[in-house]
Amino acid sequence: MTSGQLRMVEAGSTQVTDLGRSRGPRYGVPVNGALDQRSASIANTLVGNARNAPLLEITALDAEFVADVDILVAVSGADGTLLVGGSARPWNQPVSVRAGEPFAVRNLQRGLRAYLAVRGSFDVPLLLGSCAPDSVLGFGGRVSAGEALSLRASTAPLINAHFGAELYRLTLPAAPQSFVVDVTDGPDIDDFGATADRLFAAPYTVTPTSNHIGVRMTGSSLPERRAHGEVLSRGVPVGAVEVPPGTELLVLHRGRGVTAGYPVLAVVTTTSLDTLAQVRPGQQVRFRRVSDAQAATAIRAQRAELDALRSRVESIFAALQQPHNTTNGRILS
Amino acid sequence: MTEATSASSVTISTSGDAALRVSGVLPDREATWRLMHHLARALDASRVPGVACVIPTYDAVLIEVDPHEVAVDRLREFVGVLAESIDADHPLTELPRVFEVPVLYDLDGELDLRSVASAQGLQIEDIVRLHGEPEYVIRCLGAPGGSPMLDGPAFPQPVQRLSSPRAHVPAGMVSVAGRQATITPAPAPGGWPLIGRTPLTVLDLGSEPFVPYEPGDIIRFRQIDIDEYQALLGTRMVAR
Repeated sequence: MTSGQLRMVEAGSTQVTDLGRSRGPRYGVPVNGALDQRSASIANTLVGNARNAPLLEITALDAEFVADVDILVAVSGADGTLLVGGSARPWNQPVSVRAGEPFAVRNLQRGLRAYLAVRGSFDVPLLLGSCAPDSVLGFGGRVSAGEALSLRASTAPLINAHFGAELYRLTLPAAPQSFVVDVTDGPDIDDFGATADRLFAAPYTVTPTSNHIGVRMTGSSLPERRAHGEVLSRGVPVGAVEVPPGTELLVLHRGRGVTAGYPVLAVVTTTSLDTLAQVRPGQQVRFRRVSDAQAATAIRAQRAELDALRSRVESIFAALQQPHNTTNGRILS
Repeated sequence: MTEATSASSVTISTSGDAALRVSGVLPDREATWRLMHHLARALDASRVPGVACVIPTYDAVLIEVDPHEVAVDRLREFVGVLAESIDADHPLTELPRVFEVPVLYDLDGELDLRSVASAQGLQIEDIVRLHGEPEYVIRCLGAPGGSPMLDGPAFPQPVQRLSSPRAHVPAGMVSVAGRQATITPAPAPGGWPLIGRTPLTVLDLGSEPFVPYEPGDIIRFRQIDIDEYQALLGTRMVAR
């Protein structure tokens, strides 16, 4: 049962994804999913969706859409401009869009990826419980101009009848401003001897060959593997920092091959993987060593912020459904 | 320094805030491999909240968690206790299934069979014979998409990986590298030398798991000619 369609007017580099295929890695299939999990979770939360609901990941390029029903959308992630019918509307807030009214995400800056969620989400094919594209298996992929995505719900406009303004403004958890990437020591750090500390000595520059599989970087001085001998292939975590032969440092991201035989020097924390997803080729990052306990504290703090946001959004949607609010705004359908 | 918990059979290391690496340290390689897979199955069966995925390989298990749900240091103790409770001598599979895989070997020199043979100082017929001899135990599932990871045939030396990996290796390729062998169920980039191809369809994206075998099952390779290859093309891989 669908409730309309969202058509791509200008596709840019956009795909439908979710938080990933968590059942995949045991079969050798990468987890994939939104590279900036925090921003994807925020966009979904802002429109009242489950954190893991299918949404659009928009990378670097502009994208424009039109739906044939009224919808409620929210955009999060890299900064940019959300235009609805030609007017700028707020980023990081739920925004109503009327049927037939074109809306666009433009001028992504201070980051690489934006996430657009629609209240009710999309009806899309799943593989192992996830809609995340898998470039190896040939599942899903970029959407193209003219393509239409099935919407699971429509949402009548939430507009203040007197002022035409949004009914509410939500305060968002602050996004990280600088590209500091926290890592914990990897299980194979001893293989690198004293050269492991080079990771923290100077910034690294992200190279254009970076993608969802791994972020590649160059630096003035790379750590060097001191231990030798064949390592049997074994599971490597998302975020693993490796030093493959050559002149680049490699940080595995969510599209990573599940098993490999390279030693793991360090592991980027879950929260910093989101930061890394927003770094553009040519930009610099600086690694910072944190303890396992500090990493765990950061992830708990992030979860608490997301939970608090969800709780505020739920209160607002519940209030909007009360009859006495219908004089100022319209109720949710 | 990463903290590691040592028990008599495993070493457990944090691998970031969302994963634990369990390494088997039993003196016997086969027992270590069984322990890793028994441990993975026990973890799956115990349905620990927050455990997202368990990836057993040869001598290690990677346990991925949702760090919002469970802290890896909390999980570590449980995994250590669980590992100690496992009988690593118990067979992984009571009745392993046997999968016979027909292979059209690369006798025409289109792939890498010749260079593999010359690097070993052997004729291509020797490589084909040695590759076809063993009953291969599937050690684990690997990338891409459930490749059956096998201990390699009895070649004199480890097989060198390609100096320049192929950007596209089609599905069904039969390959060797180091002391390992595999079949590629899905097209992907790859640096393993290719010695032949099977006409069987290994991957079925409509089922879970995608592949018909599991660790502990057996693979046998059988040489076929081009006519049989054509006749079998697209046949689903099933146990004998």
